[in-house]
Amino acid sequence: MRLLPFKVRVIKYVCVGRALGTPVAILLVAVVLLLGCTREASYPNRPISLICPWSAGGGTDRVARQIASQLEREMEVPVNVINATGGGGVTGHTRGALERPDGYSMTMITAEINMLHWRGLTNITYRDYRPLMKVNQDNAAIFVREEAPWENLDDLEQAIRESPGSLQASGTAFGGVWHVSLAGWLLEADLPADAVTWISINGSAPSLQELMAGGVDMVVCSFPEARSLYDAGEIRSLGVMAEERLADQPDIPTFREQGYDWTSQTWRGLAVPNEVPDERYQTLLESVESVITSEEYHRFLKNSGFGSSGQSPEAFLQFLETENQTYGEIFNSQAFAEVVSQRYGPMFFPSIILALMGLIILTLLVTGSLGRRAEADDLKGIDYTHILLLVGAVIFYLLFAEYLGFILTAAFILLLLMWQFHVRWSTALVVVLVIVPLTYQLFAIYLRVPLPWGLLGW
Amino acid sequence: MIEALLEALQLIVFSPSIWMVIILSAIYGIFLGAIPGLTATMAVALFVPITYWMDPVPALAGIATMTACAIFAGDIPTTLLRIPGTPASAAYVDDAYAFTRKGQSEKPLGMALTGSVMGGLFGAVILILLGGQLARVASMFSVAEYFWLYLLGLSSAVVVARGPVLKSLLGLLIGLFLALVGLSAVHTEARFTFGLPQLYQGISFIPAMIGLFGLSEVLRNVMNIRKDRSIPDPAADTREETGAGGWLKRNIWRPFVSVFRSPVKLISGRKGDFLRSGLIGSVTGMLPGAGADMGSWISLAASKRSSKHPEEYGKGSLEGIADATTANSSALAGTWIPALVFGIPGDSITAIVIGVLLMKNLNPGPEIFASQPVLVYSIYLSFIIANLALLVVGYVAIKTGRFVIKIPQKILLPVILLFCIIGSFAIQGSYFDVGIMLGMGLLGFVLERRKIPLGPVVLGIILGGPLEERFIQTVTGSEGILWPFFNRPIAALLGVGFLLLWGWTIWRNRKDKSEATDEDVSMQS
Repeated sequence: MRLLPFKVRVIKYVCVGRALGTPVAILLVAVVLLLGCTREASYPNRPISLICPWSAGGGTDRVARQIASQLEREMEVPVNVINATGGGGVTGHTRGALERPDGYSMTMITAEINMLHWRGLTNITYRDYRPLMKVNQDNAAIFVREEAPWENLDDLEQAIRESPGSLQASGTAFGGVWHVSLAGWLLEADLPADAVTWISINGSAPSLQELMAGGVDMVVCSFPEARSLYDAGEIRSLGVMAEERLADQPDIPTFREQGYDWTSQTWRGLAVPNEVPDERYQTLLESVESVITSEEYHRFLKNSGFGSSGQSPEAFLQFLETENQTYGEIFNSQAFAEVVSQRYGPMFFPSIILALMGLIILTLLVTGSLGRRAEADDLKGIDYTHILLLVGAVIFYLLFAEYLGFILTAAFILLLLMWQFHVRWSTALVVVLVIVPLTYQLFAIYLRVPLPWGLLGW
Repeated sequence: MIEALLEALQLIVFSPSIWMVIILSAIYGIFLGAIPGLTATMAVALFVPITYWMDPVPALAGIATMTACAIFAGDIPTTLLRIPGTPASAAYVDDAYAFTRKGQSEKPLGMALTGSVMGGLFGAVILILLGGQLARVASMFSVAEYFWLYLLGLSSAVVVARGPVLKSLLGLLIGLFLALVGLSAVHTEARFTFGLPQLYQGISFIPAMIGLFGLSEVLRNVMNIRKDRSIPDPAADTREETGAGGWLKRNIWRPFVSVFRSPVKLISGRKGDFLRSGLIGSVTGMLPGAGADMGSWISLAASKRSSKHPEEYGKGSLEGIADATTANSSALAGTWIPALVFGIPGDSITAIVIGVLLMKNLNPGPEIFASQPVLVYSIYLSFIIANLALLVVGYVAIKTGRFVIKIPQKILLPVILLFCIIGSFAIQGSYFDVGIMLGMGLLGFVLERRKIPLGPVVLGIILGGPLEERFIQTVTGSEGILWPFFNRPIAALLGVGFLLLWGWTIWRNRKDKSEATDEDVSMQS
């Protein structure tokens, strides 16, 4: 029983902070001010962000993180990977090209940059970037079930020619890189691009599962993606779309050997926005070069089953140009345009949903039950100004965080709200001085979220 | 299998960082659960941005722990203030508060803690027994079966949600529609993006969750902030523990035992009721859309029906508290079963868990049991450890809970608002996501005021994409629009199940409606 009052007192000190307020406040202000004083003038002197257009844990992300951790040692500033995912790569590639060209952001561009603009999904092309280096490349291959009747590409071509459209393939969604790989081969073999029905399945892993379940007849994807099933003897490869045979799989013939002049690959490379100052570009390039040529990086690629193909900026640019033209031809071909427009178009499913929704809203309106609110008797005393205040606080963050920086914005929002809620000033100040630095420490320092920089450098 | 289990053991039991995560998330869960208005779902939604930088195992262990703790902690204000801390405690508010009036608040709290821990462990066992078996069945499913399964899951969420069926159906359709925004997965064509490239990726899931469950709760709570609304002081227990023995024995051990002694005795005296409550919880949890809160209502009703003292219910029945807390905690593990096996979330929390898994490039589904056995065993183990952590942290919470719930909302809500902003900003460092969070928060707020439940909305957002994909894949693979959905035996069976479920719902609704109008008439007269 004697313990209780003491506990009450402790809680009171922490919550109300009447006595502790002033010294704690001064201390925390000092700490916060010191945090902002560590800036120098030379490049690079603050964290660099590496934008990855694909999600965490995927292949591109793994390569990006490996490079980031090595670059960090090379450049002696943190290099943070930001996954700007979605839209089949549109989000990341667009954002990367539009970043401030100050040398503090670069992008891991992938093969999709040469495809998205042909499909009208973005205006961004490789010309919006200044390429640094190509860092990895994986070639496409065709996989079939072990018991499939085809021994080589000729057999397969024969089968497709006999009954166009009856064979089904997958590996990625419609218009994805592996779909283009297959379409390019079909066009090369003088077949229409829709001679094989493409089932749109997101990702190579579920496609391979559908191949095993008998849902599709072939899968096009890179070799590392199919490795486990291939090693288990469940699937065979009819050919790899590469210049020469894969170093670790010399048994798989290339398409070229089988008489088709066709290569296709997915690749990853580093690039910066166009207007980055030249000396910063050179500094960055030197560091990137020493990472890509390092033994550690090659060991990483080998262990993870990625193909290695480092390329200098000039060669990379040349490669981007030719590939962009090839894809342009495929996407503009009549046959491919037909493939993309299907029976059950993109508005088929939404129209079902919208129709149902309209029907229900109509019913609810007729019966009048949509207007019936929860907590009906509670309604009179509601203070809508508080709600407006909260919404205003979020909008304030959206508008001003970039200029004021995270710490000032957050402190302002907290103070404003607590003032409006009639919290005592001393209490509010203590809460702000504890919460804001703590969240900054957690997110910006430990988790390396690029919180807005703003005026004061934090 | 044994290897994977050992590896999982090593991963969890011998890793100090996981223990740190578990203890911190236990405290965090207790904290948020104990504050009225803040739910377990909100705790998870606000935690997700941090999981982005964690490995999958600690992230999932953290979620399992904080939900278990938050669901129990909801009982603390329920008991002390007569305000349910989370919706899962709402069923037995009066029972629990009756003891506080008599100055015996520790009795229902001890009961609730014991029930929660034992229910949680029971649920974990069910998860372990059923998960792998169901996964084996699920691996035979092709796209058509998945299509029906998603439809069944979505429908059951609509049917079990409390309130009018039409309103939850509307909520579901809103969710499905939100899922359509962005590049469609099947056609890779932009829909409803209004030319905004940021919308190509669709409504980002995590900011949307933070908005729906974090911001909208803040908005709802902020309406009721009064300048000087003081929470009634919970009646303090007057009973004092004295006795012989050393300081440790007197101050730590004896009070600890005393909290659990009578609850354990009560539960072990009613083994059948315990089994029934645990099963009700697990099964309710497995139904998509129904989680801990449904579990506790159903279990309490069943408990009252079979009790020898039904008259005590609502006036302070320890049996009712035992059965309800057992069920709501065992439901937590139950919700993970469909989430892991089929990728269909059992409730809003596991909907967020699926989002976390996808973020980590782990696709929930039967493959995960074969390809990631270590992860699956780690999830099993975390459920057991979570409940052991709850035992200790929950005990401390019982002793100190009255201070936690005293932190005034006027301080808490601004801080939570800040967390909502950072959380939605952190994942992609994008202001657009903060805007999405704001929009979804307002949407959630408006929907709740119109009595449209949020559970089906979330389920729609999660399953909208896959549902459309399976649909288009099924119809492009073959001729005709109806036949491919019924030409495999399991698919046909699931399809018939779907039709039956809706037939039954419509029939039941008719009946209810005619009864309800009768009632209205009699009330008016």
